Amino acid sequence: MTYLNLRLTIILRRIDMKKIMGLQCKFFAAAFLSAILCLYVSGCSRTGNTSSAKGKGYDTVVFALMSFNNIPGDVTKVEEAVNKLTEPKIGVDIKLKLYGPANYAQQVSLAMTGGEQLDIFHSLGDFSQIISKGQAHDITDIVDTCAPDAKKVLGEKFIKTGYKDGKLYGLPAYKSYVLQPQFIYRKDIADKLGLDMAGIKNMYDLTPILEKVKAAYPQMNPFAPIEQGNTQIPYSDVDYLTDDMRSPKGVLIGDNTNVENFYNTEEFKKSCVLMREWNQKGLISKDAASSTSIAVELVSGGKAFGFMGSYGYPPDDTAVEISHQTGVEMKSILIGDAPVMATDTVSAITWVISSGSRHPESALKLLNLMYSDPDVLNTILYGIEGEDYVKNTDGTVKYPDGQDASTVPYTAQLSCGILGNQFIQYIMTGTNPESLKIEKEWNENAKISKAFGFMFDNSSVKTEYSSVNNVINQYLPGLRCGSIDPSKGIQEFNKKLEDAGLDKIISEKQKQLDAWLAVNK
Amino acid sequence: MGNKKNIPSWQFLFLALPGIVYLIVNNYIPMLGIFLAFKDFNFSKGIFGSAWCGFDNFKFLFKTSDAILMTRNTILYNLAFIVLGTILAIFVAILMSELGASLKLKFFQSSLLLPNLLSWVVIAYICFAFLNSESGFINKTINRWLQIESVSWYTEKQAWPGILIFVFLWKNAGYTSIVYLASISGIDKSVYEAADIDGASKLRQIFSITLPLLKPTVIIMTLMAVGRIFFSDFGLFYQVPMDSGALYSVTQTIDTYVYRGLMKLNDVGMSAAAGLFQSVVGFVVVMLANGIVRKTDSDNALF
Repeated sequence: MTYLNLRLTIILRRIDMKKIMGLQCKFFAAAFLSAILCLYVSGCSRTGNTSSAKGKGYDTVVFALMSFNNIPGDVTKVEEAVNKLTEPKIGVDIKLKLYGPANYAQQVSLAMTGGEQLDIFHSLGDFSQIISKGQAHDITDIVDTCAPDAKKVLGEKFIKTGYKDGKLYGLPAYKSYVLQPQFIYRKDIADKLGLDMAGIKNMYDLTPILEKVKAAYPQMNPFAPIEQGNTQIPYSDVDYLTDDMRSPKGVLIGDNTNVENFYNTEEFKKSCVLMREWNQKGLISKDAASSTSIAVELVSGGKAFGFMGSYGYPPDDTAVEISHQTGVEMKSILIGDAPVMATDTVSAITWVISSGSRHPESALKLLNLMYSDPDVLNTILYGIEGEDYVKNTDGTVKYPDGQDASTVPYTAQLSCGILGNQFIQYIMTGTNPESLKIEKEWNENAKISKAFGFMFDNSSVKTEYSSVNNVINQYLPGLRCGSIDPSKGIQEFNKKLEDAGLDKIISEKQKQLDAWLAVNK
Repeated sequence: MGNKKNIPSWQFLFLALPGIVYLIVNNYIPMLGIFLAFKDFNFSKGIFGSAWCGFDNFKFLFKTSDAILMTRNTILYNLAFIVLGTILAIFVAILMSELGASLKLKFFQSSLLLPNLLSWVVIAYICFAFLNSESGFINKTINRWLQIESVSWYTEKQAWPGILIFVFLWKNAGYTSIVYLASISGIDKSVYEAADIDGASKLRQIFSITLPLLKPTVIIMTLMAVGRIFFSDFGLFYQVPMDSGALYSVTQTIDTYVYRGLMKLNDVGMSAAAGLFQSVVGFVVVMLANGIVRKTDSDNALF
């Protein structure tokens, strides 16, 4: 899920003190202050203008959508096409705002702080923070009237993740939720060396395979981290309790309901020892923890054999997707058990009605169509038929001849569903239609965590969170890439976490979890 | 200024108008953000409606075992940059002033300025080309000649204070030397001629004429730098070491700590608090430094 690999940039406000001191005249200081106040007040009151469409009397809903493709300059044509569909159905007009993955969260926050109109947006793995910061509108009372289809599509099971303290704050996207850990590798090398890939059941089975590759290609570091400092070692049966998977701070393991320090568990220690072994044998680059070269680049540059990643689609589809990116034929196999389904497995992408929305009901009605109306959904994703995409006779779609995602006038196409209902989305030519069935099965059959539906609110331990984040940044990449010796490193790491206040976070988490369990048994 | 007494002096202020407007827009309006540092910001309640939370937002800067470490790093690196940067810039400026207005001067000046135009990301990759443990220039070429074993630079923390200071000076010395070069060229040439006639050597002239006359410029430049002693160059400390965890004890500064700590929290109040804290300390330090200068040498004080 590359769209979660985002760094949310903090805007640090810097005030240039040395310039302030150039000012000595009191008169001018007073004049400046009044000028500032005028500007500021007028800036704040500017936002009250009406948002209904000119003359037609429909509510206009501003919809913030993320696109991984080129951000199209002009979306009015698509907006008009959508309006034609939505006006007779729900009496709502749409205004699209498209942002790239790198600045989506920041732009949404900025628009909301500045009082700009913004009605619908989605979380990026931080749904719990969106609630605690008051960015989400409480839709408990209007969901039955405004979004009955979405409620039906999601069902009792998945909609549960949108609740906090009995109130509904968002609707999770209906997509392939379970991200299966997979090892993706170069087919040509595996064939040439006659490697037995089918026999691999877990990470530990990979060692002899990687050793053979290293022996045949000594200049290679066969295993590559998927992104800087992240080897994506899969841990089954771990519920991260809505923490970022890359820096968990208190987890549930197995059927236990005791919140534990993940970095003190045997499974974590064992994996660090394995990575250290790989590091010492040259199976993974010595610079893996700090190198910014990502796996796809290393593989296509002939410097690596394969990498671990977690994907929401079957291995064959993953292989096709990654082959496109690397330019080399890849294969993929499932490794280890599927992860347990935890709250954020489902709620990572949750659609939210903004707390500043002036038409929450219209917004929710529009959102509802994303779950039930293929025409509306696909117009937003693919644009206008004949111009932005063409339909094949079998119902799949492709770009018009001679065009691709970067040259068509409009596309917000996504290879994984994050908008509304993935299962009513058009399928691109070349993707196996059977995959959707497999993905639906994964959704239904995944093992469910005991804390499924629980959401941790970290606002009372923010201070500890920031210190603990720093300690994790310092040690985790090194341990997970084997550049830190685990025999001493893990102990040192845990000592520092303790100093930074991890215990306080864990006990707060336990408190909230116990309270939740008491209500939701 | 005053040979035309009939023009009232306030009219000259119009000349400053563009600058004043710039200051208001860029430096004063954002200052209203300061009070966010004392608020528990909530989007549904808005900027004015959010609850006050006293100094809670500041706690994360001090309630950590790294508080001393990052403060120490920030201050010591900045001191090193101020002292070494000034010495090197003056040295370069004197050498360049000796070249006169020749083509050589243009060449050297441009090449010394060039690094300053590069962004830290580009510089980080230039460093990476040297320091990379597998294919880097130092390990592959220099260490091989000298028969030294390869060093994994991005985990070797002893080396980094030196590397960071070197990279900083390489990037900035050319730029700051321009200011000093300008002051040197403003020195009356007849003073040097008189010294020549009295038989003073080149070195003597530098120590007895150039350096004393540069003193006001040095003081102003240093006071400016001291005001930012609690700020660090984020790109230098974050990009150049490639965010390597093993190096945090020597590369963690206040700015990188704030970034790393809040990147995932995305908390408006806490980041405003960090900026305010740095500015207030910078303000106090500048007032102190200027006070000391005023006591000892009142002509050269900033205000």
